[in-house]
Amino acid sequence: MKYLYEKDLRQMKYNILTSTKHDEAVRAIAERLGMSDAKLRMVLIRRFDMSLLENLESRWQMGQRHADDGDPVAKGLGYELFTRFIPLVDTETMQTIYSDTTAMTQEIPFDEAIARGKEQIREAVLS
Amino acid sequence: MKKTVDVSVPLGPMHPCWKEPVRLKCETAGERVLKTELELGYMKKGIERIMRGRPWQEVMFLAERVCGICSVVHNMVFIETMEEISDIPVPPRAAYLRVVVNELDRMASHLIANFSYCYTIEHETLAMYLLNTREIVLDNLERITGSRINTAYMIPGGVRFDLLPEDAAAMLADLVKVEDEMKRYVRIFETGPLIALRSKGIGFMSREEAIRSHTVGPTARASGVEDSDLRLRHPTYQALDFKQITRTEGDNFARIMVRFQEVFQSIDLIRKCVETLPDGPIRGGGLCKAGEASYAGEAPRGELTYTIKTDEYGRVVDIAIRTPSIMNIEACAHTMIKGATSIADVTSTFISSDPCVACNER
Repeated sequence: MKYLYEKDLRQMKYNILTSTKHDEAVRAIAERLGMSDAKLRMVLIRRFDMSLLENLESRWQMGQRHADDGDPVAKGLGYELFTRFIPLVDTETMQTIYSDTTAMTQEIPFDEAIARGKEQIREAVLS
Repeated sequence: MKKTVDVSVPLGPMHPCWKEPVRLKCETAGERVLKTELELGYMKKGIERIMRGRPWQEVMFLAERVCGICSVVHNMVFIETMEEISDIPVPPRAAYLRVVVNELDRMASHLIANFSYCYTIEHETLAMYLLNTREIVLDNLERITGSRINTAYMIPGGVRFDLLPEDAAAMLADLVKVEDEMKRYVRIFETGPLIALRSKGIGFMSREEAIRSHTVGPTARASGVEDSDLRLRHPTYQALDFKQITRTEGDNFARIMVRFQEVFQSIDLIRKCVETLPDGPIRGGGLCKAGEASYAGEAPRGELTYTIKTDEYGRVVDIAIRTPSIMNIEACAHTMIKGATSIADVTSTFISSDPCVACNER
């Protein structure tokens, strides 16, 4: 059902994401995920509300500082970073990816396992 | 048989409890709030865009128009960023006077924040008392700077007006009155059973959640985040032996109480400043140069950051302002309100985080 008072917020959300600091944060997140800035912007506009977009830069900063201390697989994937700080992937999906990647590290080199795990995260983000 | 239904409850953009227009969409299951979404854009000023390309003398006045409640600190942080870029020293007397004006502004901001909360939980008597006390604070701001709100008091290398001895005496007398009244109001707030019912254990935010969303100011300090007051790192405040106020409850009650405690702390800081006010000039002078700097100061609502790039004539080439409400409003919508057991607590919880939509939308 479409309500009369529902507005199309895409343009305003895009304006938030293209301001100086937010643009830097979006580029850094896109680089970490290994996807294009434009695709990430599209996902962010679709999933996040305006206040979360405004706070994206601060959350990214705090994520860099506090997320995923200790476990190298979680750190490589950005487990907490992309579930709690920048909630792009839900916790259940991330847990599955984490388990798969941890299992893979026993069979193939660590970097390759992380790269495959990141591929799964990209798919989850874009789905 | 009683039925529980899922309803989407939109609050705002025009709401009796909101000071500024914002729309909060709550997804509920019966009384429980499952999810909230915030819609901004009703008062976007585009002030960063307006500032670009203008000389600092114009941007200085625009900076304090970002927010109508904490305008002094916007002026202060902008000027201190320009001073950092251009390496302009501030005379000690001017640095102390800046603290006096900044603390008066903080008191005014905290009083209106707590007024809004009391008004929202329908304790109109206490709300009106607080608003009345705020007038005394604003009168003192006017006495020193010549203006109640947009003071433009600070300039690179100093301040515009000195504090005359008779004005200082009048201000100290007023502060005694404010302190006496505030003690009574805090007692009313602390001991009111209905206030406790609407405030204690409501809108809880843990320390970890506060850190995750980079919550700042009294909202973070009420959740027990240590070292979250930038005044701890400001040289003038360090000279005044400033200590941060922290509580651990993380609920609406704690957020309001932190603001009340900070009002008393501001009174003490102003007294210390006046007692130890150094002699000397209030303006040192200096030229604004080309450069780039990011500088943060403690606004009444928390960390306020200005990132400025200037050219050789002191024109602002690029500017980014990160206001505390950006973080606090987001944390409020997605942490404090989410999971609330009653939809009736949404408005009071939202107001308890002292949201400034004008800052958020700058």
